[in-house]
Amino acid sequence: MNRYNSEAPYWITIAHLPKWGTEKINRLIVKIFHQFQMNLEEFFKLSETDWLGNFLLSEQEISDLNNAKNELANSAFLAEDLYSQGYEIISLNSPAYSKILKDNLKIKHAPPVLYVKGNTQILQADSIAIVGSRDASEISLQFTDNIAKAASERNQVVVSGFAKGVDKQALDSAIKYHGKSIIVLPQGIMTFTSGFKRYYQSIIQGDVLVLSVFHPKSVWSAGLAMARNPIIYGLAKDIFVAQSSEKGGTWSGVINGLKKGRVIYVRMPEDSEINANRLLIEKGAAPVDLAGNVSNSGVNLNTNTQRTLF
Amino acid sequence: MKREQAEIKLRHIFGLKTFYDSQWVVIERLFEGKRVLFIEKTGFGKSLCYQFPATQFNGTTVIFSPLIALMRDQVQKLQSLGISAKAIHSNQTEEENLQIIHNAENNHIKILYIAPERMENAHWLQTARTMKLSMVVVDEAHCVSMWGHDFRPAFRRIVNLVNLLPSSFPVLATTATATKRVEQDILSQIGKNMHSMRGTLLRPNLRLRVAHVASEDEKMLWLGENIEKLPGTGIIYTGTQISTQIYANWFNYLKIPSVAYNSRVDPESRKIIEQGLLDNAYKCVVSTNALGMGIDKPDIRFIIHTQIPQSPVHYYQEIGRAGRDGRPALILLFYNPKDDLHLPKSFIESAKPSDKKYYAVINAIKSERLGLHQLIKTVNLKQTQVRVILADLIEQGIVNEVLEGKNKKYEYKFNAPQLNITTFEELRSSKFNELEKMVQYTNLKQCRMQFLCDFLGDSLPNPCENCDNDTGKHIKVTIIEPWRSRLENFKGNYFPELELEPQKGENRKNPIKHSPLVNGVAASYYGFSNVGKTLHQCKYQHGVDFPDDLVNLTLKAFYHHYRDEQFDLVLYVPPTESGNLVKNFAGKIAQALNLPISDNLRKIRTTLPQKSFETNLLKGDNVAGAFEYEPSRDIQDKSILLVDDIFDSGATIKEIGKYLSKLGAVKVAPLVIAKTVGGDI
Repeated sequence: MNRYNSEAPYWITIAHLPKWGTEKINRLIVKIFHQFQMNLEEFFKLSETDWLGNFLLSEQEISDLNNAKNELANSAFLAEDLYSQGYEIISLNSPAYSKILKDNLKIKHAPPVLYVKGNTQILQADSIAIVGSRDASEISLQFTDNIAKAASERNQVVVSGFAKGVDKQALDSAIKYHGKSIIVLPQGIMTFTSGFKRYYQSIIQGDVLVLSVFHPKSVWSAGLAMARNPIIYGLAKDIFVAQSSEKGGTWSGVINGLKKGRVIYVRMPEDSEINANRLLIEKGAAPVDLAGNVSNSGVNLNTNTQRTLF
Repeated sequence: MKREQAEIKLRHIFGLKTFYDSQWVVIERLFEGKRVLFIEKTGFGKSLCYQFPATQFNGTTVIFSPLIALMRDQVQKLQSLGISAKAIHSNQTEEENLQIIHNAENNHIKILYIAPERMENAHWLQTARTMKLSMVVVDEAHCVSMWGHDFRPAFRRIVNLVNLLPSSFPVLATTATATKRVEQDILSQIGKNMHSMRGTLLRPNLRLRVAHVASEDEKMLWLGENIEKLPGTGIIYTGTQISTQIYANWFNYLKIPSVAYNSRVDPESRKIIEQGLLDNAYKCVVSTNALGMGIDKPDIRFIIHTQIPQSPVHYYQEIGRAGRDGRPALILLFYNPKDDLHLPKSFIESAKPSDKKYYAVINAIKSERLGLHQLIKTVNLKQTQVRVILADLIEQGIVNEVLEGKNKKYEYKFNAPQLNITTFEELRSSKFNELEKMVQYTNLKQCRMQFLCDFLGDSLPNPCENCDNDTGKHIKVTIIEPWRSRLENFKGNYFPELELEPQKGENRKNPIKHSPLVNGVAASYYGFSNVGKTLHQCKYQHGVDFPDDLVNLTLKAFYHHYRDEQFDLVLYVPPTESGNLVKNFAGKIAQALNLPISDNLRKIRTTLPQKSFETNLLKGDNVAGAFEYEPSRDIQDKSILLVDDIFDSGATIKEIGKYLSKLGAVKVAPLVIAKTVGGDI
């Protein structure tokens, strides 16, 4: 029983507060833990006066939190179900929470709770992400395989998003080369039934970690697929783009990443290719060749990443 | 709420005047959002401690209870008071349960009883995530402790749940019987902020007696002679399902109204028997420990055990059902030092399968994510054993039970710990110690009630002045004619039925199309008379036929069971190994009944002896498609008497029944010499 975190229901409740954005939730969590040196259980025992007077919460916020309080017992049922089926609930304050993710996404975007199944130590390892189109070309898939192979040989974790095309290739290649992988789900973790069946051996051998930041029962939606992209980027130290079109998830993910100052490696396309890789390089992504080596196309890499990549 | 206010409401809602002090202490704590473990004897009024607050809370109180009979009684009682109470359990159809779940979701139910197993059900979990919950009650809380007398793995998830509930959420755990060790174990498992309260265990109106006997016959004889002289009605607890039938038949043979009750009896009939017990329709109900907890009958006047229970806790729990009205009740334990320890000992020994079996299950799950049936087949173990193993592996964090759609699957956990078998050994030796205590009870020279209460953590200052040792009123068994010949006569006319038709309960859930295979009959139980010994000797001394008295006994069974039913043909089950024992035997039967016999039912492939398979699933596979009859048109529209020597799992007979049904048989009626009693051969 000690395997269970008795605060999990509080975390589940607070992580999915309706209409509260991630940042608002995280700011409250920071206030509770840092400023007031409390845990969530203690916070929820406080009176409304304390919430109003000390935490300076608005009436609307207090009403939201009261609703949340009434749902704690329901969340206990959910947490029990999750634990019982072998899922883990990693909260922002847990040592198991991915440091890379926290550093990359910060208070603004770091999800308060990670729902995972598998080898959680993977979260602490050096990692890269490989992203790209669902209908990727042969050469993009070859690139993906190269990058996954090199990463696996260097004991780097391959983070991918479990979409068709590049994502699946990244995962399957990492498994093929006996590397480690994180699958970042575009859905709640309890709805990933067929995936758990398919990757059973890899999961129980500790090679694959399945991760979701959404409510465990949420089904796939385009919105969740988009919302999952920053998590993929956030979990990786380096990001490799195999192929992007001029719109869609890959494109907006890279543009977003560049805005945040991330270094993003994009495969240098051949002249005959019709895709938006070149455009992304023009917008500041770093070009790499088919083997993942940084091209000499005049892109200025800062010293940290100035190394032979593979 | 003040006590006076509460008692006004108590009068209004429940028609009761006041709370006992200890009841009010519990209730007050629950109102404060606290947690209580309440240990009080059966019949004290523990349920009011949650039922009253439940009516005052603004939401649903969920009571986890392992006892369907109790749930039913309580729900009826609450409904008659106008309180919206319901129960969800496996004896109702899925539609009924879903309707109740739906009502709970809409906050239409104040008090919801639910079986612990339901925590594995996706619908329920879905509802529990959305309904308005006000309190959780864990009834029979000793079931969470493996040191208790009735550990149930299904409580594991309830323990986990209670630990995850917010600390200010009221939780009540109740039990009538918990040793200090069990109490500590419950507190350490679900004790976050939990206080325990204990009542006294003395039951001054129970007249404890022990009678030493030298054989099973002596028990039957004493009961045959004396049971009608006992005042009122009561329960006789036997050790096995078969013995419930034997005793009940013995009483019925003596024209004493009686009925057998055990977990094989279908739910509908059980309901009828329970009601009959309440209405004093029987002198006694003969039961395994399946009956009792939750039977709310105040005037059970005697409880007699023909088999020594596993521990004083088991015993106290079972006898606690007698004399709840406070009037005298006879509590008698028969003990035959020569034979009676065999059953509880083998029960304790077999409680945990061997390590090898645990590893077989672990390895199977490691190589593949499996459902229960796939797993049973892969490892070739009995379902009960696989269930025990799985429960332990889940408890130890080695295996997860996951839902794949609606199906349960078992998966290995990454980074799982090694199997820990030391707790199994500790558990075994603790159980043997408890059994030893029970033997001490039978040999006691001092007050028996004091001994029992002491074992349960409640020291009585004075002897009860009511047991045989305190009063000097001992029961001695002496056998006189004509009772001995009555018993012999009974045994020679007692023919066990072979249950092959689907049970009523099964029928209701998934109606199977009509099968020509009917319930058959055996001439005897394997070990009940000397039939088993004779069979064994013949089977291992080649060239000797089954003796004629077995033929005659079997014919007697035939006439008893099938009376004047008409048959067209006798067939016999072709043997696995060579030998004409069954063939010759069937020939004699056919001759005596003046029926034609055919040797054309043959095995078309080799099968292994059925006893080499532990699970019925594999026994079925072993004989599937193994039989053939030529020319098949001979079977069309025939009523067939199917003869065999020993009936064990019934898998072979079922397979032949299925095959003959395909060939157009209108009736397949089995007739065998002996029916085994779990693990005879």
